[in-house]
Amino acid sequence: MLQSLIQNVWVPMRPYYTQVYQEIWVGMGLMGSIIYKIRAADKRSKASKASSPAPAHGHH
Amino acid sequence: MNENLFTSFTTPTMMGLPIVVLIIMFPSILFPSPSRLINNRLVSLQQWLVQLTSKQMLAIHSHKGQTWALMLMSLILFIGSTNLLGLLPHSFTPTTQLSMNLGMAIPLWAGTVVTGFRYKTKASLAHFLPQGTPIPLIPMLVIIETISLFIQPVALAVRLTANITAGHLFMHLIGGAALALTNISASIALITFIILILLTILEFTVALIQAYVFTLLVSLYLHDNT
Repeated sequence: MLQSLIQNVWVPMRPYYTQVYQEIWVGMGLMGSIIYKIRAADKRSKASKASSPAPAHGHH
Repeated sequence: MNENLFTSFTTPTMMGLPIVVLIIMFPSILFPSPSRLINNRLVSLQQWLVQLTSKQMLAIHSHKGQTWALMLMSLILFIGSTNLLGLLPHSFTPTTQLSMNLGMAIPLWAGTVVTGFRYKTKASLAHFLPQGTPIPLIPMLVIIETISLFIQPVALAVRLTANITAGHLFMHLIGGAALALTNISASIALITFIILILLTILEFTVALIQAYVFTLLVSLYLHDNT
């Protein structure tokens, strides 16, 4: 079933994926790197907030 | 009241499973693939619409630009159908999420920029300086043009998000107001009339899609032909 699906999608779209959309794959890589950087920064800030439990505002 | 207003924009989950992927894939069911030379009415109508749009949109492109026809047509069909389906009550519109619109805008914009730099490097670099600028202004203008280039994908995404979200929010607000004003029957006719006008105006999300693809198109055109 998967093979026939690949046959129906990959075979007609092959020149697009391999030639026409080359620059779009580069753009997707750029987007992936941006997402990775944002997630890493978020994880880092959450980890630093969790490891240093001193609150910004003292409890009154 | 505020809680009710914004809960329609949360990504839908059914018993803890995110079904947002199913919702994004749903509009593709409405576009059956043509399998014959002469198809049924629905497919013929869609084919005619796609042909009309693609002819008008791709006329200004060179041969290289026209290889993007499939991508641009898919884009306009997807955003158009998603936005129109979102006008149904209690439905979820994926294009209200900035993450999704950035995910559409950034790869496509980067694709056009990389295409321009790859095939016409000098012409692409020349875009950073408009013709006829006085020499003392050149450094500042290059900076301004660079900023305007990098703002393009953000503008594409935020434009779509803000328009759709604002429209949905506004419909919620006006509808709630109309419901609350039913006890005071003096304003009810006016409010429902405003709702009707708003819904009609909101149908122009299709015009917004035109704006999206057209903007993308202009960018591609500039990078290819100039």
